[in-house]
Amino acid sequence: MSCGSEHCITCGDDGTPMTIVAVDPDRGLALCEDADGFHHTVESALVAPVTPGQSLLVHAGTAIARLGTEMLA
Amino acid sequence: MKFVDEFRDPELGRVAAAEILSLVEPGRHYKFMEVCGGHTHSIYKYGVDDLLPANVELVHGPGCPVCVIPMGRVDDGIALAHQPGVIFTCFGDMLRVPGSNGSLLEAKAAGADVRMVYSPLDALRIAKQNPDREVVFFAIGFETTAPSTALTLKRARTEKVANFSCMCSHVTIVPPLRALLESPDLRLDGFIGPGHVSTVVGARPFEFIPSDYGKPVVIAGFEPLDILQAIAMILRQLRDGQCRVENQYKRVVPYEGNLKALEVMSEVFGLRPHFEWRGLGFISHSGLRLSNAYAEYDAEQRFAVPGVRVADPKACQCGEVLKGVIKPWECKVFGTACTPERPIGTCMVSSEGACAAYYNFGRFAREREVV
Repeated sequence: MSCGSEHCITCGDDGTPMTIVAVDPDRGLALCEDADGFHHTVESALVAPVTPGQSLLVHAGTAIARLGTEMLA
Repeated sequence: MKFVDEFRDPELGRVAAAEILSLVEPGRHYKFMEVCGGHTHSIYKYGVDDLLPANVELVHGPGCPVCVIPMGRVDDGIALAHQPGVIFTCFGDMLRVPGSNGSLLEAKAAGADVRMVYSPLDALRIAKQNPDREVVFFAIGFETTAPSTALTLKRARTEKVANFSCMCSHVTIVPPLRALLESPDLRLDGFIGPGHVSTVVGARPFEFIPSDYGKPVVIAGFEPLDILQAIAMILRQLRDGQCRVENQYKRVVPYEGNLKALEVMSEVFGLRPHFEWRGLGFISHSGLRLSNAYAEYDAEQRFAVPGVRVADPKACQCGEVLKGVIKPWECKVFGTACTPERPIGTCMVSSEGACAAYYNFGRFAREREVV
């Protein structure tokens, strides 16, 4: 996740798919891994309950959606 | 990566482009607005417009949250950053947005403690690490980002972090769209709807566009194939004489949105009577403020904020670019006096801004066309 010259995903109406590695339901947080293998602490309250292995769409450190498979069929 | 690679497949892209070609009516000119800056960025980055027939034109809308922040608001942020004891936090792109007397980055160079964060949660962490300082978060963004700020403020209250506050400059997407649709100098045939705003608010808020203005809306994802599919879906509606809200981004966007996010937003935020947008002027009920329940976290109440209004630079035509009246390269200062390194207007600052996106990815193609 970078604010480099190419793209700032935090500022735009943009989201990053990430995979949950571990969850901390008491604090509403999840440890997630992005496509490049970097780990991020993510607010997961808006998509709770979540489990490791699920894919989330993350924007500005907050998961705003669980990724489904409807359009991939 | 799953959910990404499938939507960048060149072969599927060519199939979608062929479908678009089969759907256009010869002799008719189509003008579609992509509302979101993320779409603008993808269109230029992947050359989506190069795959479209000449009579399908894409107009870049106001959906870059950095680009719409007015100069006076930047000045207010800088004034806050210079207050004794304040650590001022904001997203990266916001650092370079020019105010009337420099940017937040220049304020940092002049001694203000300005720090870039990737999320409001990072700003809260800084507040917890610096209990003897006041930490202000400059909250910008549409409904995509607002829930993140709201959750952080709830967390600040739960964890009793008293030295954290928020300068709320969040905006909502529907009022500027209505203002654009009322604009007499803009003729559009349809909208590519904002994918991630819709993840939060759902598809329902956009139903007024087909019902009141007779224009189709297709909510779309941000990969090149998403955008091509959305254009094909709008063209299919026009061909079949239909006009409704469709959802191309079903893998992410539920029609009713994220109800938990909407609930937390309604608890933490209220609507401002009006909010100034760069290039679009004041738009009623288009900005968010902190609700009375969270007033103690409102930086504008905690500190003296000048609240000045500053006119945009005369040479800058960001307003016309944001309304889609002119293309980025038609601005008088595009690529000469105004570049990503030395921006005059905000559309050149953020990589989601139409001018920066075109400068970074599109200008080479245009140079080829000119030659």
